[in-house]
Amino acid sequence: MNELANELARRYGARDWHDQRPNLASVWVDAIRVHDSLAWLKDSAGYVHLSFLTAVDNIERKAFTLTYALRNHEKSHGLIVHCDIDRDNPTIDSIHLLWGQAWTYQRELKEWFGIDCPGSPRKDEEFVLEGWDAPPMMRRDFDSLAYSQATYEDRPGRESADPAAHMKQKLYPEASL
Amino acid sequence: MDIKDFIAPFAVWKRAFEKPFTVKKPIDDRPGAPRYRGFHINDADKCVGCGTCEAICMNKAIDMVPAPGHDAGPGDSGLRPRIDYGRCCWCALCVDICPSGSLGMSNEYVWIDSDPEVFRYTPGVEPKPWDGAELGYRRAEGYRLLDEHRVDMPELHHAEAVKSFLELVRGYSRQQAEKEADRCVSCGVCIASCPAHMDIPGYIKAVRDGELDTGLRLLYETNPFPEACGRICTHLCEEACSIGTGGDPVAIRWLKRYIADQVELSDYAKALPRAEAPTGRKVAVVGAGPGGLSAAYYLTLLGYKVTVFEKDGEAGGMLRYGIPEYRLPYPALDKDIGYIESLGVGIKRGVSIGKEITLAKLRADYDAVYLSTGLPTAYGLEVPGDKHPRVLDGVAVLAAATRGEELRLGERVAVIGGGNVAMDAARTALRHGAKVDILYRRREQDMPADAEEISEAKAEGARLVEKAIPLEVKDAAGAYAGKSAIFVWNDAVMVQKEPGKRPVPEPIPGAVREERYDSIIAAIGQGPDLSFVAESDGVPMKRFKPIVDADGKASTGTVAGAPVFAGGDLVNDRKDAISAIADGHRAAVGIDRLLGGKGA
Amino acid sequence: MKRDAMPRIPPEEKATFDLESGKYLVMWQGPQHPGITGNMSLRLVIEGDTVVDCETHVGYLHRGFEKLMERRLYMQNFPLVCRIAVPEPDFNEYCYAAALEELAGIEIPDKAVWLRTLSLEMIRLASFLMWIGGQAGAFGHGTIAQWSVTMRDYVLDLFEELSGGRIYHMYIIPGGVRGDVPKGFLQHVLETMDIIKKNLDDIELVMFHNAVYKMRAQGLGCIPPEWVDKYGITGPNARAAGVARDLRKDIGYLAYPRLDFQPLVGKVSDAYERSQLRLGEMYQAIDLIRQIVELMPKDGPFREKLPNPLYWKIPAGETYVAAECTRGEYGFYVVSDGSDKPRRIAVRGPSYTHAVSVMERLVRGVNIADVAGLMVSLHTYPPEIER
Repeated sequence: MNELANELARRYGARDWHDQRPNLASVWVDAIRVHDSLAWLKDSAGYVHLSFLTAVDNIERKAFTLTYALRNHEKSHGLIVHCDIDRDNPTIDSIHLLWGQAWTYQRELKEWFGIDCPGSPRKDEEFVLEGWDAPPMMRRDFDSLAYSQATYEDRPGRESADPAAHMKQKLYPEASL
Repeated sequence: MDIKDFIAPFAVWKRAFEKPFTVKKPIDDRPGAPRYRGFHINDADKCVGCGTCEAICMNKAIDMVPAPGHDAGPGDSGLRPRIDYGRCCWCALCVDICPSGSLGMSNEYVWIDSDPEVFRYTPGVEPKPWDGAELGYRRAEGYRLLDEHRVDMPELHHAEAVKSFLELVRGYSRQQAEKEADRCVSCGVCIASCPAHMDIPGYIKAVRDGELDTGLRLLYETNPFPEACGRICTHLCEEACSIGTGGDPVAIRWLKRYIADQVELSDYAKALPRAEAPTGRKVAVVGAGPGGLSAAYYLTLLGYKVTVFEKDGEAGGMLRYGIPEYRLPYPALDKDIGYIESLGVGIKRGVSIGKEITLAKLRADYDAVYLSTGLPTAYGLEVPGDKHPRVLDGVAVLAAATRGEELRLGERVAVIGGGNVAMDAARTALRHGAKVDILYRRREQDMPADAEEISEAKAEGARLVEKAIPLEVKDAAGAYAGKSAIFVWNDAVMVQKEPGKRPVPEPIPGAVREERYDSIIAAIGQGPDLSFVAESDGVPMKRFKPIVDADGKASTGTVAGAPVFAGGDLVNDRKDAISAIADGHRAAVGIDRLLGGKGA
Repeated sequence: MKRDAMPRIPPEEKATFDLESGKYLVMWQGPQHPGITGNMSLRLVIEGDTVVDCETHVGYLHRGFEKLMERRLYMQNFPLVCRIAVPEPDFNEYCYAAALEELAGIEIPDKAVWLRTLSLEMIRLASFLMWIGGQAGAFGHGTIAQWSVTMRDYVLDLFEELSGGRIYHMYIIPGGVRGDVPKGFLQHVLETMDIIKKNLDDIELVMFHNAVYKMRAQGLGCIPPEWVDKYGITGPNARAAGVARDLRKDIGYLAYPRLDFQPLVGKVSDAYERSQLRLGEMYQAIDLIRQIVELMPKDGPFREKLPNPLYWKIPAGETYVAAECTRGEYGFYVVSDGSDKPRRIAVRGPSYTHAVSVMERLVRGVNIADVAGLMVSLHTYPPEIER
């Protein structure tokens, strides 16, 4: 596989090739070259199958990491292509012309992460979250617990005691220690 | 398309005459499979209310609620899990993780009611038809989410151990400590059982996370003797440990030792709190044992100037003079004491109250006095001949060993008693090359010593003579006269005199035996020495103990002078280091409150 | 319709229709189950009784699993993942467990490997049995569903005996499985396989040698082989088009390399051949289950000891673990940041493309009466789309 790593590095400046296991590797490219490298992998390197694409919110370094999982059936090898994009201005080239199902994933990226893929069909339509008015839900800074507490009511009458606190109260309430 | 495609579909008609698949009223006739994950059952007597089920429940379906008939007590929080079937998903992770194994599931799955509130109940406490169901989900044999086995502690082999005073227990490595800390479920049921109420889950978490400075800070919040307690504590916490209900309890004591061992004394100050601004007040502490020094430590943190008076040449009390160095090496103890001294606590060694200086003088010169003098006086055998020169006092033997004196115990040694002092004396004698018999008036299981002390003493070669009631000590005859003594005892049987009480030894008529020993070490117990307390000091006593209030205050205020507090073995019934430390801490807070400190 | 009448690959952009012209009718199919497909809906544009345009609408079963998992401990997610696919929860359990084991460097005992394989093949059979009822029902053949759903219940009885749960088995736990087989279980498995095989023979006769079924299903929804890579089509939908890809063979996970089987392939991926291929895979599953029962070690440990689940941290890293489910490539993408909770978990379900991109294109030109049958013939399951 090193041949492929070298070729990707030479053509698209790919870096950080990592063999996760014998039949799965990952590699990083710059966001601006992700479309071209995927097109090359699909057309010339045998990675014809797009398993899925998604994003990971790396909020600590203010980036969304995009993940494109490809598969080469002939070599029975999976390749994950990564690129980082700016979390404050999340835009990435659309790959809907490369794979027929990619537009759905890109629509999901828009709705769940707020990542825009200009040119991707129907990207601004609602996907699964009808009438969603909160921030994109898969962002790390969207607190789903707080959202649910604000949106729904808890069943009344539930309360729980902490064993240590309960025992202090029952057995040695006077202790000032 | 051929003719078959038109005829074949009619084959369905053959089924018209077959027995249908459906059964009538399946609910009545179909019990769940033997492993079915149905409604919960809980053996509420086995359950200790640790709340681990609540912690693992990903649906937040479990609340820990007080259960009638199950009061909080040692090793039992008094809480029991209540399950909200509006949230439960029947995954049974609660069953898989339950430390005691009390939780299970029945194979019952039908429960119909028009009131939704009933589907929230406390299994085992609120009776249900499926209570005690034989069938239903239990965790499979050989499958547990928690590790029931403690990480083995590297120890010297007994044959090796008995040759020297090297420390037996070598301590955990980082990997071992973190693995052991991983066994804890942070339930906190242990905290109530610790006399000092140490934050045990907190410092175990610190071990797990590799944050030893945090761990040290948590230790010192309630106990300034982590090196010593990490080795010799009576670890009541481990008896209460919820993990111990279904396996080995977490090695809480060894983990405490691990933290203290790993942090260098020179780094303590970085991790631990600084003393508050001086209050200008002075406190005298009598006795530099763990209790006295604990009081000194916490008083110093509160801004008091503390002076400790110690009759012996070194500080540490029974930790130094009562516990052999193979259990508590002196450098470890020195580290604990060294940090306390480094905060400015003055220890006046070799100063005996009542001789060099009176209690009345302390009460005049200081703003408060704390008595923590312990139990220095050994009880005698109280049999004829017990003044024989070869009858020795166990505590004195241990103290002499600490001072490095020649013990001259001889070849054959008898140790009379069943407490920790007896075991320590026996093992010290073994290390001096003696053949040792331990004679005890009851059975092995009645011995007050820690079980591991007893088993180690036996493993190192001590012979245990149970049910031996001392009758007499005689001088040996012939060449041994004056050099050896004959110990005479009566074999006994255990008799249940009163139901519910522990059985007592009754001598068997005529079963009198005797044995010649070069030394007979009496380790029957110790009493206080309060000769330095005068009537005029205004410290009332009962059964040779100062009477103290909830803060540890012993003086009544009828006599002029600084208030007197007391604690440790002198006062409490536990008579162990950790109780003395707790008393010292409590008295420090009490003194501060009385003298108008922050807590006032 | 001729069986090789392949649809023209339509443009990626949506076609526009003048809905005000009076020539078209907009009709919603779903979100009720139109034949055991799960809750999703198709917005159809109809001209006469022919569909000219379709949009798939999902979200009716969205429960936010991927977000929920980021808030929970690794072990707490184990009871959660199975809910992503009701008819075949075990694939979720396997992919999740295998991903964690790979990231944490845990090797599971051989017995667990076999028990996992058994569990996956049993659920494959159960899931197909439910599907075939829907497939036949969508063409008005309700009797098949009566039989096949009963057979599925027999498989669920086996699961109940093995794991304590009928629908959500929660059996494949990180580290292995939750218990060895109970006494007499393997005998029950073999007996049940005999019953099911006999019923499959009946279904084969009645459903596949049936003029009505043939006339309606043959030529319906032909997937051209060149679509397979274009749309990421996997599983029976791809194999029926002659593309012999089966992750059980290609990746060779669990005990599959030690089992004797060949991926089934067809020639024309229309509704008829896809269903025929799935029927073949049911027979294959029965055969595999019998092989597993025979080859599985009789005893041995079934779970590797893991750290305390309350604090279990997984080293930072990422992996993608896929398995061949009944519908194709099912996978879990797991990213760990080294903490005790996952940083990101993404679930790859085959319906993501089958029920959206492929469905929307295949349905154009189809008679509205055949839409449900077409949908079932793609074996779609919406929760794996919306998670």
